[in-house]
This record gives sequence, C-alpha cells and structure tokens, in this order.
Amino acid sequence: MALRLLTKSASVARPALAAQRSTASVAIRHMATSAEEKQVSPESKAQSIIDSLPGNSLITKTGYVTALAGAATYLISKEIYVFNEESLVLLAFAATFGGIVKNAREPFNAWADEHINKIRTILQKARVDHKAAVEDRIDQVGQMKDVVDVTKALYALSKETAKLEAEAFELKQKTAMTAEVKSVLDSWVRYETSVREREQSKLAAYMIEKIKADLADPKLQSQILVESINQVEKIANKA
Amino acid sequence: MTTFINTVFINNPLEQFEIKEFFYMGGPLLGAKFSLTNIGLYLIIVTILVLGMSYLSLNNNKVVPSRWSIVQESLFGSILNMIKSTIGGKGEAYLPFLYTIFLYVLLSNLIGLVPYSFTPSSHFVFGIGFSVAILIGVTILGFQTHALKFFGLFVPAGTPLGLVPVLVMIETISYLARALSLGLRLTANMIGGHVLLKIFSTFTWKAVIGGPILLLISIIPFAFIIAFTGLEIAIAFIQAYVFTMLTASYLNDAINLH
Repeated sequence: MALRLLTKSASVARPALAAQRSTASVAIRHMATSAEEKQVSPESKAQSIIDSLPGNSLITKTGYVTALAGAATYLISKEIYVFNEESLVLLAFAATFGGIVKNAREPFNAWADEHINKIRTILQKARVDHKAAVEDRIDQVGQMKDVVDVTKALYALSKETAKLEAEAFELKQKTAMTAEVKSVLDSWVRYETSVREREQSKLAAYMIEKIKADLADPKLQSQILVESINQVEKIANKA
Repeated sequence: MTTFINTVFINNPLEQFEIKEFFYMGGPLLGAKFSLTNIGLYLIIVTILVLGMSYLSLNNNKVVPSRWSIVQESLFGSILNMIKSTIGGKGEAYLPFLYTIFLYVLLSNLIGLVPYSFTPSSHFVFGIGFSVAILIGVTILGFQTHALKFFGLFVPAGTPLGLVPVLVMIETISYLARALSLGLRLTANMIGGHVLLKIFSTFTWKAVIGGPILLLISIIPFAFIIAFTGLEIAIAFIQAYVFTMLTASYLNDAINLH
C-alpha cells in the first residue's frame, strides 16, 4: 500500500519523470524478455495463473483464495503472526531458496538423470552379458547331453581293455616263464653233453693208455703171440 | 514515542542465541535438571534429519539410485576423497565417523538459516563440545596406535636438542589449542553470520516502517539480506567441510604421526 502511494504521489508530482521511468522500464522489460515470452498473451498468462490455483472450478478457486486471504487477515489482525524484521529474513530466505531451487533444479535433474541412466545402462549391459554367458554355458553343456551313455560305453570298453590287458600280461608271464625254463633246460643239456664228451674223451684216453701199457707188458705180448699162433694153427689145420 | 523507540532502538542481536527452557521433567536429580531447551529440541530435530536423510538414501535397497540417493552418494564420495587425500588408505576406517560429523554439522548450520528457527551450531557448547570430544578421542587413538611414540608428535623432526623443551611446550599448547580452535571457528562463523543478518534485517525493517521514501530505499539493504542469506548457505557448507577436514587432519596426525 505504502509503495503504491509512494509511486502514485511521485508520478503526480513529477509526471515527466514517471513517463521517462515508464518508458525506461518498458524498454528494459522489452530487452529482457525473450521471444517466447513475447508471444504469451495476457489472457493465457492470466488463465495459467488461475489454473495454478487449487480447485476444480472458478468458484472453488475463488473460495480458496478468499479463505486464504481471510485467514491471513485474521492471523495478522489478532497478532498471531506479527510482521517484523524476521519477516524480511523469511522473505529473503524464500527468495534465495527459491532462486537456488529454480536455477539448480534443471541442471541437477539433468545430471542426476544422466547418472541414473548411466548406472541403469551398465546394469542392463551386465544383465545381457550375463544372460549371454549363461546361454553359452547351456549350449556347451547341451553338447554333452549323451555323456551318460558315452561314459557307460567308455567304462565298459575300459573294463574290457583292463581284462584283455590282464590276460595279455598273464600270457606274457607264461611265455617268459617258458622261455626261462627252456633256456635253463638247454643250458643243462649243453652242460650234460659237454660233461659226457669230456668223460668219453677221458675214458678213451684212459683206454688207449691202458692198452698201450698192457701191450708194453711182455707177458701179455707173449700171451697174444701164443694165441695168435694158435689161431693161425687152427686156420692152417682147417685148411 | 513508542514509534520513535521502535524506530531508533533495536533489539539485542544476540537475543536469538538465548537458550530457552520449554519444559522440564521431575525435580533436580544429583544436582542436574532434566529439561528440554530450544537447543536440545533443535539437536533432536537435526538427529532425526540425519537419520531420515540416511534412511531415504537407502532407496528401498534398490541398485539403481534415485535422485535423492545420488546427492547422498556424492556427499559420501566427496568425504571419502577428502579422507584419502588427507589420511590415506588407513583413514577409510574413519569414514562413517567423519561423514556423520559432516552431515550433523552441516544440518545444524543449515537449520539455523530457516527463519524463526534456532541455530544449534552457534553455541560454544556445541562447537567446543564437539572439538574437545574429538581431540580426546584422537589422543586416545594416538596412544592406542603408537603407545609412547605418540609423544614424537610434539618434537618436530630435526630439532636441535637444546630447543626440544621449548618446542615440546609450544607443540603441546598448539595441540591442546586445537580443542578450542576447531569449535571456536565454527561457532564464531555461525554467530557472525546470524548477527549480521539480524542487524541488517532490523535496520531494514526500521526503514520499511519508516515511511514511503525509506521503504523505497529499503530495497537496497533487502537485496543485501538476500545476498547474505546466499552467503550464509555457502558458509554453512564450507564450515561443515572445514570442520570435517580439520578433524581428518587431526586423525592423520594421530595415525601417521606427521
């Protein structure tokens, strides 16, 4: 009210100044407003203000505004709320806080959404990668679906192989044993043969020596001679 | 006359820091009275806010964060980086402690900026109580970690033997002064800012009710009040950060001995 009175009296007292100020303020407003703001018509602006009020119809909106104004008037008139220097602090705080919220909200929201999307993308990528890895693993495992039968066959084969190996080993042992016995017997035969030969040669040598010694004996020589003469005589008599 | 007095005289700007008793329970017990004061109420509110903020940051245990939890995560990350640069890897064990201090001091500072409220951090009992408790804790930690070698903190490396007694005395006083300086810095900044705002708003109010001309002129100091409010919000953050950083620095002295 005081401000309105002040501006009114000042404009009455100095109309030229008021006109200048009005022109200047219009010019400044013209410079400050953007192209978008220029296009907004007063009717639509007024309608947007009315729309921003709570309530569904014009009557309820008016009722809300009236009730609010009445409550404020009551609080102030009964000195339940007292205007003092703290009210200025309240206004300043509201202006500062509002300014911060208005200016920081959009950049903060953009930054936060970008961060959230980044994390969401990473998680989704991780989910897709994990799914692909699991599917690969399933495929790998699927290739071994006959593994039970194959294992059974392999087990039977290995069992048979082990049995054959055991038989082969047994035969090998037998062969080795036979070969050993044969070689022992052969060596025994060779030994016996050599012993017999040695004994025969010894016996022959002894016999020769004996005969030679006997032949050297004069008695035997005379006896042989007598016998030889007798035999010759017998032959001669027969003839 | 009343108008004149109202216009010329202003209330004491320190009135806002007065501790007022709301109610008390029972009679004095062992010489102590159990009462709820304005500072007690605001400390309870700050505690609830700290717990509430931390609870909201859980975001229902969802992996993808919400906008709110991102704010908390950013604060958490800033404090973690500060600890890594100040203390190093060993200091990460003290992250919950330092983060809680930061959040508590920050909210104590910020809650005082809300009009018609009270600033708990503008009281020496708050700031110095915190700093003394921190210094005692840090000293216990130092002795627990280094035993008697902790006294090496009071003898700077390369000190000539003759100067050792003097330097030990100076370092001891300097160490003990931390208990005061840490809290004093925070409290003085908070008091200064709030007193300035109060004085400015009082004088501006006198101008607002002083007539049409003064009302017009009062736009200028009102703009200053808005600017100071913005500055106070910045100071609230800066002081909370400085308080936490100095606490981390004292922890670093106790853990790494310079």
